[in-house]
Order: sequence, then structure tokens, then C-alpha cells
Amino acid sequence: MHYSDLAKRIVDELLRPDGSDKLRPVHTIGIGATGYFEPSEVAPQYCKADHFITPRTKATLRFSNGSGSKTQHDDWSDVRGMATRFHLSDGTDTDLIMMTLPEFFARTPEEFLEFTLAAKPTEVHWVSPWKKIWQMLHLIPPQPDPYPDEEISPNEGAIKFANENRYSQLAVFQAAAIGAPVSYLRAAYHAVHTFVVTGEDEVERWVRFTWQPIDGVKNENPLDPPGADYLQGRLRDRLADHTSRFTLMMQIGEVGDAFDDSTKPWPPHRQRVMMGTLTLDHAAEDTKAQDDYFEKLSFNPMLLTPGIRASEDPVLHIRKEAYAYSSGKRDATPCPFSGGAEDDQ
Amino acid sequence: MTNKDTWFNRYVNSLPTRGWFKLLSRYVVVPYWIWRDPKPKLPGGPRESPQPSENTQRMMNLIMPLKDPSPMGRAMAAMAIAQNVDEIFSGLDNVGTVHTARFLILGDNLCMISVYDGDFSNYIRDFIETIGSVFDAVISQIKGAEHMIPTCDHVEEFIEWVHDHDLFQAPDFPTDLFALQDAAKGLPTDGPAHEIMTLPRDLILQLHANPNLSLGGGYRSYPGYSAAQVRDKFGVGW
Repeated sequence: MHYSDLAKRIVDELLRPDGSDKLRPVHTIGIGATGYFEPSEVAPQYCKADHFITPRTKATLRFSNGSGSKTQHDDWSDVRGMATRFHLSDGTDTDLIMMTLPEFFARTPEEFLEFTLAAKPTEVHWVSPWKKIWQMLHLIPPQPDPYPDEEISPNEGAIKFANENRYSQLAVFQAAAIGAPVSYLRAAYHAVHTFVVTGEDEVERWVRFTWQPIDGVKNENPLDPPGADYLQGRLRDRLADHTSRFTLMMQIGEVGDAFDDSTKPWPPHRQRVMMGTLTLDHAAEDTKAQDDYFEKLSFNPMLLTPGIRASEDPVLHIRKEAYAYSSGKRDATPCPFSGGAEDDQ
Repeated sequence: MTNKDTWFNRYVNSLPTRGWFKLLSRYVVVPYWIWRDPKPKLPGGPRESPQPSENTQRMMNLIMPLKDPSPMGRAMAAMAIAQNVDEIFSGLDNVGTVHTARFLILGDNLCMISVYDGDFSNYIRDFIETIGSVFDAVISQIKGAEHMIPTCDHVEEFIEWVHDHDLFQAPDFPTDLFALQDAAKGLPTDGPAHEIMTLPRDLILQLHANPNLSLGGGYRSYPGYSAAQVRDKFGVGW
């Protein structure tokens, strides 16, 4: 596939100095899991895609920390990811990629490149106590002290960018306070982009998806962090002899909603439909073989199937190229849209 | 990077929890900023929107100060409601667009909390039409409202009064507060961006202008459906 200069530039610029070009440039640390999806009774009315009409569809997942650092920092405040691949009855796949942040930082790929450049990690600075006092007297929350091993951070640049660009403010503000979940299984994940689903009645609806954990959403206490490496162990422990479930909720957009702008979440008053339940029953074991398999997977938010199509959101469209290019760059299992690892360099 | 976690840094980090700093903030810092950057009172109730789901299950949080907040006065207000239960329930049935409604005595206020469909002014107008006499009994217990009795002769004034006593509904997405404050000041809502870390200060100052507010639009179990649609689905006759 042909990659635009813009898609390549975005992927290249996302790579952090403490990352690796053999790994993903963002959502670098992750763990795989498997399970199955069962649609709700009403799901086919809204979407005739295979996994919404088939009683049970196998699924492969990858949970991740949003940072591009190759060092694990589970207890740092960070966006988390949940990529799901549904293995459909005809042997094909479809992906649904979500994150804990309910909106994105930019409306277009060009803006996202600007944001990426502005938010390139820079050396972290301790804010002087005198400046903190000044901030408190201005009713401004002082910037938190760096984490013990934190050398670089995108926060300063991201906040500066948001101060100049209204569209990125909600995402930057919420990302700054997002925290660390007690488990990958206890966070809500949002697909952010709008998709168009077609129901049994051939009516098209503009929708957004969210995974909601049956176990409930819960964050760690930031004043009592559990350590840098706990999320993968807790996932394995939980799924060793139990299952864990998520419900797939679907918001239906209305005329006037931001169909093609992922910086704007839709109000919670939109009609929503419970589309099904995902049951996880296996976590990747702590072995090289398992790690190689799951970490080499190449998801793509544009890997869709009849019954679901992409909206006109330009960020969603460029993710097709960006994910495929990134997959080739890190020598992963070829992305469904790539011509193979060798062709993607 | 040099670790600068000195005792002074730790002490400064703890300032927001220290009593003397809380007093300083309460009696000096916040009043200074209220003087320096006053925020206009933001209007109550749900904001206008042409979108269907924004016009169903809308919230009214009407906070009415009691004329006499003593136990005797509170009892009078309770009686004004209790003696008119049939009128209220019948009126709500006739209005037809109300999902839930209830009265509370909270602090020194009588509160009417309801969830309704459609236009706010029409909701209140329908209410006055169907149970105006009950409203007369209720607002006779309310400070600063006696001059609107009988409400059927002061419909528009009463609608404005209710709107003014309906709680401001904070936006569902925090950074939208900037645009609401800009709009209230007559500034363009797509002008230069605000510094995002001033949002907590803007919220504090807004809570001075609107001491009570509804936090967001709230949860709905079946969002986007009107009371009429729900009744129709269950086949309950009207």
C-alpha cells in the first residue's frame, strides 16, 4: 500500500527517545488476551455485521499503556488502550480499537502532526516551590513533581499546545488527570471515532462505541502507587481461574453531532444500545513465544467488515496508513492493509 | 535530572491541606480573584438545542427560598404540598411530558426536582394552566414570590422567576465552561483559547456566581426517549 508522507511523518515523529523503532511508537508496552464476543438480542437491528449476528465470535485482544516509552511504568498517569480483533465466521477479521481517553487531540492529520511535534517529550523539570506558591495564589493547580525515574515527558509541550488550540483542550485536560487503573479490566475504553453501522432494516446510523467493564471502573490511589509493574500480573491472575467481561455500548449520533471530529465527544444524553458482551478467559502467558505472538499483532481501526464503515473523520482514515506503515517499520506480523513487512519500509 | 524533592518542596506540596493556607485561600486569595475576575451568573436549566435527545428528559432543579425557614414555616411548606397531592399528580398526568417530579425541603429551601420533555417555558405554562392554584399555595411560602399570586395572572413573570431559580447546569465536558463564560460576557466562543490550567480557577469563581449547580446533565438509563414514547411502548393508555 502507498503511504502518504504525512502518515509516515506522524509515525516517525511519535517515536520517543526512550522508545524503540522495533516496538510500537505509542502504546508500546502491552499484553495479549483472548476471549469471545456474544451480541445482545437487539444488536442485529442496529448492525448486520457478522459478529453482531453470530451467537459467539472469538476475539484476540491487546491491552496497553499509552506511552511510547519502552520501559514499563504502569503506575504513572497514562491513557490505556484496548485493541480487539473479532475472528469472524467467514475466516476474516475486524478490529475495534479503543482507549481510556474519550476524545482525541486533533481534528485532522495535519493538526495531529502539529500536536505531535509540540508534545515531543522534553526533559522534565521540577517546578520550584516558589513558583508553586505563585500558582496556588493564582488558583492554578501546580504541576505535579516528576515521577522518581521520569526523565522526559510530553506534558509541558502538550499543555502549551492546548493553551493555543481550543480543539485540543478537552483531551489534554482529561489526559493530564487520567490516572492509573487498578487493572486493565477495570477501565472504560472509547473508540473515539464515529463509525456508520447498517442494521437489518438497511438503515444507516452514525455511532460511537465504548467498552464498559462489568467489574467496574477503578483507579489506583496516586499517593500510594503499587509499583511500575502490576497490570500484566493482575490480568494474568484474574484470568487464571476466572473470566472478566465488558459490555459493548453504542451511542447513536444525531444531526448536529460531530461525526467527523474526534476531539468532540457526544453528550451522554444520546440514545445508546447495548450491543453485546465480551468475555475474556485467557491472558498471554509470561513467555517469549506468547509475547512475540501478541506483540507482533498488527491491529488497524480501518479493518472493518460489511455492516460497519468508517465515517469521514480524516484522523480515522489516516490511521489506516499510519498503522500499516508502523507495522512494517517494526517488522510485525503484516498489517492487513500492508503488502508485507519488507514492502512497508 | 536532579532530584529536588527538598523538605520545602514537600511542605509547599502539602499547603492545600494545611489549615492556615485554607484560611488564607478562603478569606484572601479567593475574594481577591472574585474582585479581579468576576464571573456573571450563568442561567439555569438546560441549554437550548435543536437535537432531539437534548429535548427529552431535561432536568429542572428549582430552588425556592422559604419565607419562614423555622420548623413552623417548613411545616407550612410541607402542608402546602401534602394538601395538594391529588391536584399535583393529576396535573402532572395532564401535562403529560413529565418523567418524574418531586418536592424536597433542603436547607432553607423548598425544591422542585423534575425531569420533563420539550420546551421549558411550555412546561411551566402547562403547569400553571393545570395546577396554578397549587403553585399559588406553594409560592405563598416562598420569599420574594408573593407578588406573583395568582400565577395565572403573571404567567410570563412567573416563568422568568422559575428560570432564574432553576440551577445552572454545569457542562458535561469541563472545558466547555470557558465557552459558556465567554458567551455570558458577550465574547466570541471561538476566540483565542484560554489557558487550560486556569479552568479550576474559573470553576471556583463560577461557584461564587452560581453557588449551587447541577453537575452535568446527569445519567439517564434510557436516554433520548420521551415520556410519551415510554408510555406508548408499555401500552398504558395515554
